[in-house]
Parts: sequence; structure tokens; C-alpha cells
Amino acid sequence: MPQKKISIRIDGELISALEGQTILQAAKANGKYIPTLCDLDGLTSVGACRICLVEVSGSERLFPACTTPIQEGMSVTTNSPKLTRYRRISVELLLIERNHVCAVCVSNGHCELQTMASALGIGTVGLAYNFPKLSIDMSHPRFVLDHNRCILCTRCVRVCAELEGAHMWELTSRGIHARIVSEMNEQWGKATSCTSCGKCVHACPTGALAEKGWAVEEMVKKIDAVTSLVHRRGAQV
Amino acid sequence: MPTPSLGSIPTDEQVFIDKLIAIRRGRPGALLGVLEATQERNRYKYLPLETLRYVAAKMEMPLARIYSVATFYALFNLQPQGENTICICRGTACHTRGSRNLLQGARLELGLGLDGGESDGNEADKLLLTTADQQFTVRTVACFGQCAMAPVVEVNHRICGHATERTLQREIETIRAGE
Ligand code: SF4
Ligand code: FES
Ligand code: FES
Repeated sequence: MPQKKISIRIDGELISALEGQTILQAAKANGKYIPTLCDLDGLTSVGACRICLVEVSGSERLFPACTTPIQEGMSVTTNSPKLTRYRRISVELLLIERNHVCAVCVSNGHCELQTMASALGIGTVGLAYNFPKLSIDMSHPRFVLDHNRCILCTRCVRVCAELEGAHMWELTSRGIHARIVSEMNEQWGKATSCTSCGKCVHACPTGALAEKGWAVEEMVKKIDAVTSLVHRRGAQV
Repeated sequence: MPTPSLGSIPTDEQVFIDKLIAIRRGRPGALLGVLEATQERNRYKYLPLETLRYVAAKMEMPLARIYSVATFYALFNLQPQGENTICICRGTACHTRGSRNLLQGARLELGLGLDGGESDGNEADKLLLTTADQQFTVRTVACFGQCAMAPVVEVNHRICGHATERTLQREIETIRAGE
């Protein structure tokens, strides 16, 4: 069934989009940029990071572009001082929650969190750091998980469940205690449902999931390999 | 999908769980109902990992999914609970009315010591301690929704408002005397 076309405005420009698309999808299809962290092309959107917040005329509230469906006549603003302020707060909260020490990170220079922070002009963080003491799971022969660098975006969870079909990762607990967990808190290397495909590693925006054997700055994620796989398989999410 | 490791949990529990699943199959939220009833049936009111594994296999769900649900809700316990439960509210209203002292008092009274948990305030909703003789479990919640009666303590599912160290001590004595 052909999808109905509807018109919306993004930053003043009139565009036509398909009913059922999210603001983010409509924007992308029309070459408009909205910053994102937890969203990954081809996976379900969960609205976890709040970086993609946009303004919608007629509402005081801000809306996450990745989970908000478009509506006829909607007028969306993707950039404003207010949005920058809120996006900055979101990134700062991510930075203080765990131990993001770029200087000693395998992903230094190739990290989406770091890139986002500098794009938003975050030099110093005004909030107190949490400095949690979190574990590192080295049990897998090829990969490593460092909770200290995780931003709980759940890209690993979704890529494993939706693309690989293994569903080895999940979130456990909630709030400040939330963690990524393999199976029932099994060590990663002992998890029988892990296929060692490495999709989670390459979908991870930070150095939280990495291949073993790389030194500082050496882990470059092949994010395109993951997203192009989605398109080749024609996955519709 | 995990394969059911049959024989890992008692047969009567298997039958019980199989029935629960059969009744609820296909309904939204089926897992929650199954887990709740299974925990209620357990002598120590908890969900052992082997049980979760069995449920996962029978409901054809990933282990990670079940574990995630079981650890998200405060209702589910993954560790054995004592015969009696003392639940102390560490929400804001109760905190300002001295619930930390109540908690520490209860821990000392029951010989649970003061080490571990609640070190930085972050653990407020997570503390769970059981005495070695399995008689008492002390746990915390983040608000009972009874703030007007702060500080609030729940003793074996009975709410006691305006609790003091003295009243809490008496509750414990009553339970001990009744054993
Ligand atoms: S491990 Fe990486 S992909 Fe997974 S939730 Fe953490 S930051 Fe996201
Ligand atoms: S990209 Fe929309 S909330 Fe993360
Ligand atoms: S804070 Fe204790 S009942 Fe609300």
C-alpha cells in the first residue's frame, strides 16, 4: 500500500514526507541534519539520549526527533540556542555519569560522544563527576566491555537482537544502577548465545565495546558496515 | 533460544510454571504474571536463576530479556528473602525525618552491621540484607507514597507511620517473641 504523503516544515522549509515517518527520518530523507547518539539507522528508536530534541511550533515541550511521528502541518525547528542548551546538558550528564577519560581510551578521536561534546562546544563540565568504580569484562576472546565508558544508548542491545537475532545483551536494573548485561549476568565469554559477530562492538558509539589488541586512539568503528547490512537485508524498522 | 535444562528445577515447580504459561500465553505482560506467581510460590519468595532459565526456555525468550525484566522491577527478588521483611523508606520525606537512623538502628538490632550499601546515598533504592538465620530481611524503598506519615516503615506488608527507633525495635521484639 503506498504511504500517504504529508507536508511538514523543517527549519521553515516545506518538505513532503511519508506518513508514519519520525521527524528524524523525514529530516534525513530531505538532507536535514539533527544530531543523534542513541539512534542507529535501521534499528528501532528508543529515545534514550535526548540529543535529538527539536522544537515543534505550538508546543512549549521539546520532542525527541527519533521517536516523534510527523503530523500534517507540523513545523519543526532543529537548531536554536534553547536546543543547544538542552543538548549540552544531556551530553554533560552522560559525561559525569561514568568515567569518560579520553586520553586513555581506545576510541579517542573516533568517539561519537567526544565528537558530540566538541560539536556542542563543551570544554569543561560544570556538574560534579560521579566517578563510579565499574568493572571491565575481558572474558571474551576477541572483545572487551568497559562499563566505565558506556552511555547506555542500547545500540548494542538492539543490533544484537534485531540484526543478529541473538539478543545476548540487555539492560539490567534502572536509574543510576542501570548496566548493560550479557544473558543473565553471565561473563561475556561464557554467554552461549553470543555469536562473536562483533556487530555490537561496531555499533557502539564510544569505547565501551572494543576489539582487543588496540591501543589508545586505535579503535575505529565500522559503523557503515552495520548500517549498510541493514539496507542490504531490506530490514524495515 | 535457550534450551530448557529440564531437571534443573523440581518437577512440581515445572508443572506449576507450565500451567501459568499456558494460561497466559500470547497475552501482553504475560511474563510479569508468570514471574510474580512463581516468586510467590517460592518458599523464600525469590526467583532463583535456574527458575528464570526454565521460564526463558519455556516462553522462548532470550535469557537477557528475562533477566532485564526481573531486575527492573523492585517487586522481584533474585536472592532468598527472610521469613519477615522490614522495609524502610529512604525517600526524601522520610529521609528528612530521620529514616537513616531507623535503617541503621534496624541493621544493628538484627546484627547486620553497617558495612556495605547506602555508602553514598546512591544505593537508597537497592539495599537488601538478610540475616544468616533467614529470619529477617531488611530492605529499602524510594517512597511508599505515604509521605504525610514520614518516616514510614513496612513490617511484613503492614505500614507503620511516624516510626521511631523505639517502635521499630518493639516490632522486631514482637516478631521474635511470636516465633
Ligand atoms: S556498550 Fe556501547 S552500544 Fe552498548 S549501551 Fe553502552 S555505549 Fe551504547
Ligand atoms: S537519538 Fe533521539 S533520543 Fe537519542
Ligand atoms: S518518602 Fe517515605 S513515603 Fe514518601
